[in-house]
Amino acid sequence: MRRYFNPSKVALNLSVFLLALFILGPILWLGVHAFVTDWKYPHLYPSGLTLNWWSKVFLDSALKTAIRNSLIISPIVVVLSMVICLPAAYAAGRMNYWGRKTFMITLFSANSFPKIGLFAAIATLYYTLNLMGTFLGVVIIQLLGTIIYMTWIPAAAFASVPRYLEEAARDAGASKFTVFRTITLRMAMPGILVAIVMSFLASFDEAQGSYLVGAPTIYTMPTEMYSLVQNYPIQVAAVFSILLAIPSVLLLGLARKHIMGGQLAEGFQIK
Amino acid sequence: MRSLLRRTGKEGSLANNGSGSSLFGFALSLPPLLLVLGFVGIPILIGFTFSLGFTKGPNRVIAIIGQQIHPKTHWWGTFAAYSDVFHDSRFVGDLVLTLAVTAISTVLVIVIALAIALHQRLVGGRTASVLATLSIVPLFVPVVISAWAIHTFYGGDGFMRSFFANIGINFPTLTSTSTAIVIGSVWTSLPFSILMISSGVQAVPDALIESAKDCGASTLKVISTVVVPLAQTPIIIAGSFTAIGIMGSFTIPLFLGPNQPTMLGVEISNFFGSYNRPQQSLVMAFIVFLAASGIAVLYIWSNVKSAKENGRI
Repeated sequence: MRRYFNPSKVALNLSVFLLALFILGPILWLGVHAFVTDWKYPHLYPSGLTLNWWSKVFLDSALKTAIRNSLIISPIVVVLSMVICLPAAYAAGRMNYWGRKTFMITLFSANSFPKIGLFAAIATLYYTLNLMGTFLGVVIIQLLGTIIYMTWIPAAAFASVPRYLEEAARDAGASKFTVFRTITLRMAMPGILVAIVMSFLASFDEAQGSYLVGAPTIYTMPTEMYSLVQNYPIQVAAVFSILLAIPSVLLLGLARKHIMGGQLAEGFQIK
Repeated sequence: MRSLLRRTGKEGSLANNGSGSSLFGFALSLPPLLLVLGFVGIPILIGFTFSLGFTKGPNRVIAIIGQQIHPKTHWWGTFAAYSDVFHDSRFVGDLVLTLAVTAISTVLVIVIALAIALHQRLVGGRTASVLATLSIVPLFVPVVISAWAIHTFYGGDGFMRSFFANIGINFPTLTSTSTAIVIGSVWTSLPFSILMISSGVQAVPDALIESAKDCGASTLKVISTVVVPLAQTPIIIAGSFTAIGIMGSFTIPLFLGPNQPTMLGVEISNFFGSYNRPQQSLVMAFIVFLAASGIAVLYIWSNVKSAKENGRI
């Protein structure tokens, strides 16, 4: 099936090169700026190398606070999201109750309202509820962004656990709880893992809502980026970007196999 | 297999479980539903009444803080804020830009994702997996970072300009143009579409492709009459999610776009924050919502259709 004549091979290699330039170019370009003194047009090399920008970030108390806030808020959001959504995901995947489909579509519709408009509407309510600029306010905003991942993906995972395995285990004398723990939960685990990773990233990377509701009292790492890019040299933003990207790269690296294996795609088809 | 299991499950629950399990399932689904109703549904409803000039009750505080508020003049409210927005010449430019960027970016994303998925399915090999892995990379990068990275890459001091200057070509500064918004939108939307579409294209059975080829169909014919129609649902899901995401995007146009006109996501934020005109800001949000709803209907229709074809309904 593979073709060996040249024109199509050249075209293919060219498209790989262009895609690599398009995707990797910008992040590599920003990444190297964390280690250079200065880099001006039209030079192909920086003026010099330095690590000074790193100490600048680690000595800046505002940036340190933002890092701490992000590392506190995101785990709380993910745990809350699991407690709230996983039972519902199990129900949506395994039970056929009245309004199941409406439930899935309602969650989706909530996602189709433009985020920034929703945040403006929520802010209106937050003023009345005194949640503006509070820790709880930011947690709720970030929680909303995780719901769709934490219900849909585990629901598809729960639905795909074969019933006959559970029945066989029951026949062999296992208790209901043992069956749930050792078969249902274990087989649905890859989907739940993908949901946890996506939710953590959705929360950790959420910027618009946290900024609108949290600023100027609570800054997280992404919202700090908004002021960072305006007030600091690009090299500081580069250092901060590398720090901000670490959790994403680690977590997605862990779940990459399952995400590319179709757990994510499976979750987004309403059944 | 799955649809079979699901169907027997459905019949089973109708036959034995009765309303007890049904009620239990409904109860389990309540927590996220209440959260969404409380912090998405209700704010949107309240916001809608505010856009119509209801300035009492939950809208009292925002009506005091905001400027150029139009209180209602009839029992049902007033369209004064809507008229403000539509008579604002900037809004028309913003709306055109938003729709154009959304349309162009979505088409580009789907075309690129489909090309990579088809290559992976029909040709395969190492190059195909390199392409697939490359296109997943943006998933690993928070949007604030990618927006800023693209900003610097295509900016005045950026790599593209420096590189081309060295071979004697004057590459334009793309940052702060609408082209840069398209670049950023495509960049960030690619992974989700690739994952959706390639999972759909992979699911097309080998037997169908082979038999079409045996009947003498060209590769192009196989793609257009077998693979794409069978992968239609995931393609529509990818397209609608991408379009809705881009239409309401904020960070990408903020970092990459021109000051004027800008995308409505940025303008909504400007009107709410910098200009302190929350009522007009919400009006714009409802206009974007209206456009996004049209796309959402397409998504739901496509899902329902595919469920019917598979015998799940």
